[in-house]
Formats: sequence, C-alpha cells, structure tokens
Amino acid sequence: MGKDDINHLEISAEKKNLSDFYNPNVLINIGPAHPAMHGTLRVMCRLNGETIEDAACEIGYLHRAIEKLGEDKTYHQWIVYTDRLNYCSALNNNIAYCMTVENLMGISVTERCMWVRMMLMELSRIIDHIICVAINALDMGAMTVFWLMYHWREEAYTMIESLCGMRLTTTATRVGGMAYDLPDDFIPRMKKFVKEFPSCLTEVHGLLTGNRIWIDRTKGVGKLSREEALKFSITGPCLRASGVDLDLRRDRPYYAYNEVKFDVAIGTHGDVFDRYLVRMEEMRQSVRIIEQCIDRLPGGSIWVDDPRVRIPDKIDVYTKMEVLIHHFKIFMEGINVPPGEVYNAVEGPNGELGFYIVSRGGPKAWRMRVKSPSFMLFQSFEHSVVGDKIPDAIAALGSINIIAGELDR
Amino acid sequence: MGNAIAKNAEFVQRQVLATARIQEKYCEGRELTVDAVAEPILWARSVTDAFELVQRLRADDVLKLDYLTDITAYDNVDGKDGPKRFVVIYQIFSTTTHVRLRIKLGVDLQEEPMSWTSLWDGANWLEREVFDMFGIKFKGHPNLRRILMDERFTGHPLRKEYPLKQREQFPDNVPLHLGAHPVPSNT
Repeated sequence: MGKDDINHLEISAEKKNLSDFYNPNVLINIGPAHPAMHGTLRVMCRLNGETIEDAACEIGYLHRAIEKLGEDKTYHQWIVYTDRLNYCSALNNNIAYCMTVENLMGISVTERCMWVRMMLMELSRIIDHIICVAINALDMGAMTVFWLMYHWREEAYTMIESLCGMRLTTTATRVGGMAYDLPDDFIPRMKKFVKEFPSCLTEVHGLLTGNRIWIDRTKGVGKLSREEALKFSITGPCLRASGVDLDLRRDRPYYAYNEVKFDVAIGTHGDVFDRYLVRMEEMRQSVRIIEQCIDRLPGGSIWVDDPRVRIPDKIDVYTKMEVLIHHFKIFMEGINVPPGEVYNAVEGPNGELGFYIVSRGGPKAWRMRVKSPSFMLFQSFEHSVVGDKIPDAIAALGSINIIAGELDR
Repeated sequence: MGNAIAKNAEFVQRQVLATARIQEKYCEGRELTVDAVAEPILWARSVTDAFELVQRLRADDVLKLDYLTDITAYDNVDGKDGPKRFVVIYQIFSTTTHVRLRIKLGVDLQEEPMSWTSLWDGANWLEREVFDMFGIKFKGHPNLRRILMDERFTGHPLRKEYPLKQREQFPDNVPLHLGAHPVPSNT
C-alpha cells in the first residue's frame, strides 16, 4: 500500500458520520462459555442496533451420551447418571427414575418411602426455584436476593447431606426404596426449615415484586403466549406462567399427591415477571406440602419387601452367606426387569421430567429415554428472544432456568 | 403397576375410557396394546398413516389430544417389534383430559416419516434429535441438521451397532450460523 493510499483512507475516515456505521446485520455469538449463559449454552444472534432480529441456539456442548450409557449400565448403575441431568434438583431425578423402573417391575414402594420421597421432591423443587429466582435477579444486578435465598439453599443442602452424604449428586434412591432412611435430626431440621423459610420469601417479595427496576426489566420480557407455549410443548412453571392450568402433581397424581392440599399457581402474561411470581408461589406451596408430609409421615420400613430388588442390610451381608450371595448378585448382575416398556413423568421443578424405558428383559435397558423439560424450553427461547434486546435475552434465559446437564444429556 | 398410579382410581378410569374410544374409532386394523401401566400404544401402519392418524386424533373432541410430549425412537435390530429396523415413538397428551397416547411407527433405513413440525412447532428439535441419534430423516422438516452432536460427526450414536467408546474430535467450533436462515455477508 503506497503513501497516497494511506492518506486517502484517513481522509475517508474523517468523512464518516454516525449513520455510516448503521448495519442491520451485526452478528454476535453469546456463549458457550459466557458467565451469563448458565452453563455451556450458545446463542448466535443477528442484531439490528441492540434488537435481536434472528437467533439460533447451538446445543450439545455438555452431551455425555447419558442415553447411550443407559443401555450399557445396569438399572442400578444408571441412578448416578440421573444426578447429572438436572444437577440443581438431583433428588427429583433420582426419584422419577426409580419410580419408572418400579412401575416397569410392578413394585409398590412402602408408605414411608412414598411420603419421604414426596417430601424430598418438594425440597428439591424449593432449591431449584431458589436458584432460578436468585440467579435471575443476580443477572439483573439484584445481589441482595441472591444472598437472602442462598442462605436457605445452603440449609437445604446441609439437610440433604445429612440424608445421603452428598450435596449435589445425591443418588439417594434405590429401586424399591432409599439408600438410607432419614437421619434422626432430619425431621426437626425440616420443621425448622418450613417454619422459617417463608419469611425469606416475604422478604424477597418486598425487595422485588413492587420494585420499579425489577418490574421494568421483567414485565413484557421474553413473552410466550398461551398458544405458543402449547405449540412448543413447554412444561412446568413457564407453561403455567403463560396461563395454562396444568400440573402433573394434581392432574396425573403419583404417590400421594391426591391426598395433600396445595394450589397450582397460574400466571397470565407468560413473561419473566409472571414466571418469577409463579415460582415464588410454588415455593410456598411446596412448603405447605412438606408440612403435610411431616404430619403424615408413617413409620415402618423404607424398603419394599421384594427379594428381586431389596438390597440386604450390611450387617446381614457381613454375617450370613446367602445374604452375601444375594448382595453380590444384585450389584454384579443387576436386577432382572421383565420385558415391557413404560413412560413415567413427574412434575419436576422445570417441568415434565419423563423417563421412557424399553426393556427386553435382563439387567440393562434396551432404550433409556430422558424427556427433559429444558430441551423444549430452550427451543422456545430461540423464538421468544427475537424482537427483544440483548439484556432482555439474558433476563429471559434466566427465567426459563435452562440446566445444560438436562438439556444436552 | 406400582403404587404411583394404582391409588388414583379416578384417573385410571379416565385412561380406560380413552383406550376404549381409541379401540373403537381409531383401530381399523392397527394394533392396539398397553404398556406396563396400562397406557395405550397404537401402531401406525405406514409412514403416511402416522401423520393422517395424528391429525384425526388431534381433531377428536372427546380425547382432545392437543399436546405433543415427546418424539423419540429405538433400534429394533433384534426384530422383536416387527420387521422394521427402527421404531419411532410419538407421545401425545391432552391438556384437558390428561390422558396419554403413544403412537408407534416402524421405519426402515430408507423410509422417511412425515415431519410433524406443521402440527406442533415443538416437533422441530425432537425430530432433529431422532435424526442425529438414529439417522431417521423426516420428510418436510425445515431444518434437519444434527443437534446434539457436531455437524461434522459421522455415524448415529444410538444405533445398536455404534460402539460405546468411539469418539471423534474436531479442532474448532461449529461456525456461527442462524439455523435455517442464511448468515448475511457482513460487509
């Protein structure tokens, strides 16, 4: 490039005014390793100014072939993989999966096991909603909510730790029962939790619900109408925020959900604000359900008395030879599940979490399908962000609570 | 059947009535079975039949099957579920009566079932996943690309012949794209 060319460039640069920079085709890549993207999510956008005009999601960055592993591991070995689906509410996945295998084998768990599982499912729902609401607020700069709510998440995790020794990757259930019965101090701690936790919700309501900044950032953002929500097959709090009255706990009750009293929170606008309100109310209802579970928790064994799945007590394994052989067979060969298939879904914190198992007989599944709520939610996100601004997209993403482990499986 | 469902007699009754209606109105030589928890499974006769069947089921004003729960598939290489290589599974659900129906469709390697994206937008990613994992192509799908695996990946991981520990590495990311829409030249 000669000297004259450089002079020419400088002159033309001087002549540029602001409108020359207008470009309706600015491409921007968000993620997969951006802190606001909640895991390895990647959204590619075409912008006009700061308005997103077209968006595409690229997923699969956390794909660990969990479904393929389900065909290679025994039914017991696969329980640990369910922890890694939605790692914010691992208990819920454990229970949903074991419930599916039990349905396939025709096993009815004991009364105590049923109520304990219901209680744990609601506890994990509270944890998951805490994460969603607190992180959503944190993304928009409201740090106080994060501190307030994470105190209670910590408390819940400490309880879960006392139950099974783990905090996130719980693996607390077994087919036909639980790994451990509740420890002695669990119920008193839970009572304290349900008594004191609602005050935190009141505080957060006071901080956010009437807050001008919060309302401006969330109302009318990331909108999904009732029709769109049904068209995109989304489930859970986001579907209810769009005004669809559907909750599997009430409509297709499993365990004893038809015996406990709770209300289903419904929104109207399907925006970030309504999703926040629905989640806040669901936490209150979960507290209500836990209170009833504590009151009605029966005694007795946590294990079903079925030799096909009953894992023998350790004391018998060490002292009786037949029991040792039985223990060995359960863990080395796996449990024998009859041929057949079943689809079982629970109302997880994010929506309908379903497991579809095809069994050809034997200790391994022929097909292990995880129907994850995040997958459908993220698909709708691709469409609902179009027309929003970039900061709104971050708010909308936080409100649908995508968990990459569940999305990519 | 576990106690997850047995305790709720009212719901079981609803499911039984729905199964009876499907048997009466939609069987027409199609095989109707039930699974381990007595949920109905209806076998579609051919790739075009599944699409016609679901349109009729969607319009049924008693069943009101208005919601797509899931689309998936499994490998039928051992031939236990008919002569076709794969079985595609469609789970549909009613948001008013809360009953489920599973439509099964046998598909051979070269057959292309109709895409359901015109009925439910949610079918888009689900069909892409089935294509990615099994290599089943859906006729009329607007954007049938791989979804979980990389675009350059070869093979279909959930086929039974695909080895568990096979891996493929790529030196760089998937380039920026806008799904089915073309990327504008940025000049």
